Amino acid sequence: MEEKIKVSVIIPVYQVEQYLERAVDSVLAQSLDELEIILVDDGSEDASGWICDCYARTYPQKIRVIHKENEGLGMARNTGVELARGEYIAFLDSDDTAESQMYQKMYEKAMEEDYDMVMCDVRILYVEEGKESVVQTFAEKDIDLAEYLIRGNNITYSVNKLYARRIWERERYKKMLFEDIALIPALVTRYPHIGYVQEPFYCYYRRANTISTTFTGSMIDIIDAFSAFLDDSDPHFREEVVYCTAKQLYWNMFQSRALFQADFIEFLKKYEKDFRLNPYLRKDQKTRKILDFIHRDVIPEHLICVSKEEDISEKFIEAVKEYFPRGKLTLREIQKEEIKKYPSCVERAMEQGDMEFVREYAGLRILYEQGGILLQPDMRVQLNLKRMRLNRIFFGFESEEEINGGCLGAVKEHYVIRALLDSYEEENIFNQALLPLKERIRDFLILHFDLKVNGRNQLLKEEIAIYLPSILTFDMQDGENCCKKVIGDLPDGYQAVSDAVLRMWSARLMENWNLYKRERDRKEKRTGQENAPPPVLTADSLDVEEQIRQVAETYENSTCWKLTRPLRALAGIFGK
Amino acid sequence: MKEKATLMIVNSVYQLFTALHIRHTLLRGKQTELLLTDLLPGASDYTQRLQESRLFERILYAKTAKLCRQYVSGEAEKIKEGYEKTDSIFRWILNDEPADYEAVYFANFDTFSRMLACRLYERHPQFIWYEDGFSSYVIDYLKEDRAMVNRTEEGKKIGELVTNTLLYEPRLAMRGDGIPNRRLPKVSLGNQRLRECMNAVFAYQKPQQWEDFLFLEQSFRAEGITTNDLSLMEECRHTIGEGRFLVKPHPRNKENTAFEQGLTRKYDCDVPWELILLNGDARRWNLLTVCSNAALTGRLVFGLDIPTVMLYRLFLGKVLWKEDAVLMRYLRKFWREFSGRHYYVPGTVYELRNILEYLGGR
Repeated sequence: MEEKIKVSVIIPVYQVEQYLERAVDSVLAQSLDELEIILVDDGSEDASGWICDCYARTYPQKIRVIHKENEGLGMARNTGVELARGEYIAFLDSDDTAESQMYQKMYEKAMEEDYDMVMCDVRILYVEEGKESVVQTFAEKDIDLAEYLIRGNNITYSVNKLYARRIWERERYKKMLFEDIALIPALVTRYPHIGYVQEPFYCYYRRANTISTTFTGSMIDIIDAFSAFLDDSDPHFREEVVYCTAKQLYWNMFQSRALFQADFIEFLKKYEKDFRLNPYLRKDQKTRKILDFIHRDVIPEHLICVSKEEDISEKFIEAVKEYFPRGKLTLREIQKEEIKKYPSCVERAMEQGDMEFVREYAGLRILYEQGGILLQPDMRVQLNLKRMRLNRIFFGFESEEEINGGCLGAVKEHYVIRALLDSYEEENIFNQALLPLKERIRDFLILHFDLKVNGRNQLLKEEIAIYLPSILTFDMQDGENCCKKVIGDLPDGYQAVSDAVLRMWSARLMENWNLYKRERDRKEKRTGQENAPPPVLTADSLDVEEQIRQVAETYENSTCWKLTRPLRALAGIFGK
Repeated sequence: MKEKATLMIVNSVYQLFTALHIRHTLLRGKQTELLLTDLLPGASDYTQRLQESRLFERILYAKTAKLCRQYVSGEAEKIKEGYEKTDSIFRWILNDEPADYEAVYFANFDTFSRMLACRLYERHPQFIWYEDGFSSYVIDYLKEDRAMVNRTEEGKKIGELVTNTLLYEPRLAMRGDGIPNRRLPKVSLGNQRLRECMNAVFAYQKPQQWEDFLFLEQSFRAEGITTNDLSLMEECRHTIGEGRFLVKPHPRNKENTAFEQGLTRKYDCDVPWELILLNGDARRWNLLTVCSNAALTGRLVFGLDIPTVMLYRLFLGKVLWKEDAVLMRYLRKFWREFSGRHYYVPGTVYELRNILEYLGGR
């Protein structure tokens, strides 16, 4: 008679040749003998598939291998679930490990009261830092689900839980990132009979460059995952679920994924009623900070490009799809009929064949009517462009004196865009000479908002954001670029930059460095002459002093500066 | 009974131009005398040519420059005393005895005009104020708090005699002084007789070679005002390109600073700007100025649409029109309601560059 399988451990495998054996070995070393291991090779291209096969050959009674085409973690787990024969199912990520007692203790707990699910604590090992910490799932030994949703941890993890196989008759992961968040918390509410072993059995190895620590455009899936948690949970726990989501949202908005803040704000707006009326949130001063963002306008994730079809390269579209997979992309060429509705100067431009003038006007119109980000086809969006959505309106310098007309954005029906559109109806040089949009924008901002033509970041009237050339025009490889201009057919990773911008960039770096040095020298001097009177600031020097303070603050707050602070203190004591 | 004559008082070439125009239109066939003052540069040359033209029954000459600086402000009593001496002053400054006039056309509320009004007051002649540039549109010269003379009985008399103001664009007037504004007919470019007459009076000679862009300087330096007008000239010259930019100095500026600083060649024409326009020799030019009314006269006097760039929004300096809301309103009203399609008021230096390039700069 075939031995009864108590636990099926499903290990999805993808490009983990260096970690896989450690993970599998940790399961083979379990004190629970009646378990099976299902290795789901999700189309790995490294040696992972081969390693899986070796294990299956060595442990044919215990280990099975499925090779499938790559579909992502959730789908790999689903495949494992289909094959699972154990009374209970567990998931292990192929770069993590399980403590040897994990499945036995959890299985025994499950047996105690025929629990639908059993949870344990999680040990996090910070690989690069060589540190570890334990995240306790719940403060009490018995799980009260409502309490757990409010105060518990590790709720979104798939891997610190043991599930009765019957649950999986109707449940599956979705094909997306954050498949855990989309399924597990809602599942917990629908199967509230949950046991808990208060031991950190699951070892989660956290390292840089994993999904948890790097950003991609498809991370927008997190919004769907939160929606699924809210929509698919048992309505009896609605208030707790909303609060639990709010806490997750807080963490994501302000700490782990601030880049996606605009998306989170849109999510908040969608569930405004739930968040605003939530009794738990009302009492939680820290988390309720998210409510301050509900009425904040964000620029819609709508990318607009009015251009000839042949001018829009595949790379332009690829970049948009990669970083804004959910974004609306409007690609348009001018239709002859629509020109009739346009101002006479646009008609004249059309007659004279100045299509750039016509397209810029048409793009501006769409921007006004729908909101979004207006792009020229020679621009390449980057993921950082998401940050720009937090503005109500933004523009960027192309050089010290020029505005970039190739990337600008605004919320729907912004008055500045309206004013720019209206200027096409007036008698002015921009219409007479059919000047490019960037000329119109710069002069408009100078006249009405006192734009300083210096190529630097500015916030005009506390609303109109103006950015450096390195933010919206040239990728200076400092990690700040949001959108870059493609000039010529350069290989990936290269950026053609005008010499004027390069000079400006170098000067800025030197200026910052000199300001910093000056501040540092002054501080050292002050330490040496503690009783000396403070320097006298003149009206002229106040601006400079403020700049110095800001630059010094940036250095002081940098991680490197903080890390070396003890060394510098010691150097001070021991005379360097 | 013999018809009483009309007197026209002229202090500048622009006033002389307008006076000649009025003589050919509103005062055609009327007995008219002309009084030139020493405020008009080269007045004696004009006197000779005007006498040859036989346009006026008599040409009078008066040395009013010094007088016009007196009896304006200070103690009311002193002003009154001055006005009491009108007869002796007139004998001293005039080359001939003024007649008993039916009407007096004047352009400035200066001491001489006011004294003449006092002298003729009992006979109730009409005093007709004719336009002298944009100040005629915006300044209430008789307002009491403007000068002490306006609060004296003598100084007020001219106001009682003024029947109306003659302006090329009465709708532009915004002085608020209650004096009715009447239309001064536009100068007809097709009026050959007028042109020939003016050419003779001003000894006009067609300019040999003029640049495409002409900057009309103003009298800021003469008035001791520190400004950025030279930087604006430099900016224009740089955008337009050398050899195509000329500065017309203001006659009241003692030094031709733009020339001395190498911004322009020497401007070698001393006829009124309007006469060049009348002769059709300037219509392909582009005019640049901070806010000189001369740049507007093409539009106001002739109804022409000469490409004109007004730089007052880029101007830095403490001047009356920047602080006086009425003057600014005048400039805006002109821009909105009277300017042609080729009238530009750039708000930024970048807009200025674009305009100059559009107008044919390099």
